Amino acid sequence: MLLSFLSQAQEVKEVKKVNEAKVKDSIPPKKERYGIRFGVDLFKLSRSFYETDYKGLEVVGDYRLTRKHYLAAEIGNENKNVADDRVDFTTKGTYVKVGFDYNTYENWLDMENMIYVGLRYGVSSFSQKLNSYEIYNPNPYFGEAPAVFPGQKFSGLSAQWIEVVAGVKAKVFNNVYVGFSFRMNRLLSQKKPANFDNLYIPGFNRTYNGNFGVGFNYTVSYFLPLYKSTVKAKEKEKETKKKKKK
Amino acid sequence: MKKILVLLLIALSFSGCEKDDICDANTPTTPRLIIDFYDASNPTELKNVINLKVIGFEMPDDEPLGTFTGVSQVQLPLKTTLDSTKYRLILNSTSTSGSLNEDVLQFDYTRKDVFVSRACGYKTIYKLNAPNGVTKTDASTPDGFWIQQINIETTNIETENETHIKMYIL
Repeated sequence: MLLSFLSQAQEVKEVKKVNEAKVKDSIPPKKERYGIRFGVDLFKLSRSFYETDYKGLEVVGDYRLTRKHYLAAEIGNENKNVADDRVDFTTKGTYVKVGFDYNTYENWLDMENMIYVGLRYGVSSFSQKLNSYEIYNPNPYFGEAPAVFPGQKFSGLSAQWIEVVAGVKAKVFNNVYVGFSFRMNRLLSQKKPANFDNLYIPGFNRTYNGNFGVGFNYTVSYFLPLYKSTVKAKEKEKETKKKKKK
Repeated sequence: MKKILVLLLIALSFSGCEKDDICDANTPTTPRLIIDFYDASNPTELKNVINLKVIGFEMPDDEPLGTFTGVSQVQLPLKTTLDSTKYRLILNSTSTSGSLNEDVLQFDYTRKDVFVSRACGYKTIYKLNAPNGVTKTDASTPDGFWIQQINIETTNIETENETHIKMYIL
């Protein structure tokens, strides 16, 4: 496909004199748009409506650094009540994730889609309220003890983690993109409440095994173009070679 | 492609998630009080009890904790809702010839709830009062004591891996 595009392009009359030293044929330079994209996570937003024990909002953004690399960030706030069998608690807090995305998708012509992988560093600052708990007694000779309602509040808690991201973003019209991403999180450090644990961390979600987590988001975002940059001939050659090999 | 591989490797290094919403029976949770019986006439020797019926003081006679024979150790659950638990310990409980002997033990302590895990919730650990952690009284119809002496080994009832109280018996 790309080769046929290249041969067609040769017939184009207007030839811009760019990179004459390197580009000796008459292909017009390919220009790509660079800019900032910001959006919102619809998954968290919709959960806030249909889940009575959840309120959350996440704003996402990325900035195109190079052809393949994007600086990416998410900022959010969550208020989640967890009613497990033995503990019932509420976690509230704010988080920030920063990192990069690497676009693995080869866009043709003026397509601007992404299939990407990335890394994030996440920080969360939150508080917890222990609403109730049950005592585990394997020998309940005197009967099961009723639940305890301490209503204890733990504030000033924090956590830091890394996240591996994989996702897609597709341009649906003009500068509007929809996308989703899956995340795997691993805690680096955390400040635990005394005599309790961080079983849910805003931004990180439920903790598995004490330090493992998963995440998902579904975003709608708007792209604000800032400038255009010409695709360098070298990169293009590389692309063509790759295609030929296949 | 190399970068993707690196990311995949990082992803794989993440430990897989184990099921963590069922409390494992091996997890140490609320401990019982561990009592070892020693021979009062030969205090270094453990002594086995015969037909020792253990009943919570306010529990009905037909709902004992258990009847222990041929063992030198009993494990008594303490209440997780009160700072005091009382037991009737009836030695030779099946005897009809008069060797039946009942002693009453009251354990007084303070409690603390300690977080274990998501699946297990909390456990209660105890600290026996010092002094007067254990009070020995005779049965309502006095028949003397079969428990001669009580030694508290540790006032901290936190695990079942150690003996908390040694009792020297007839």
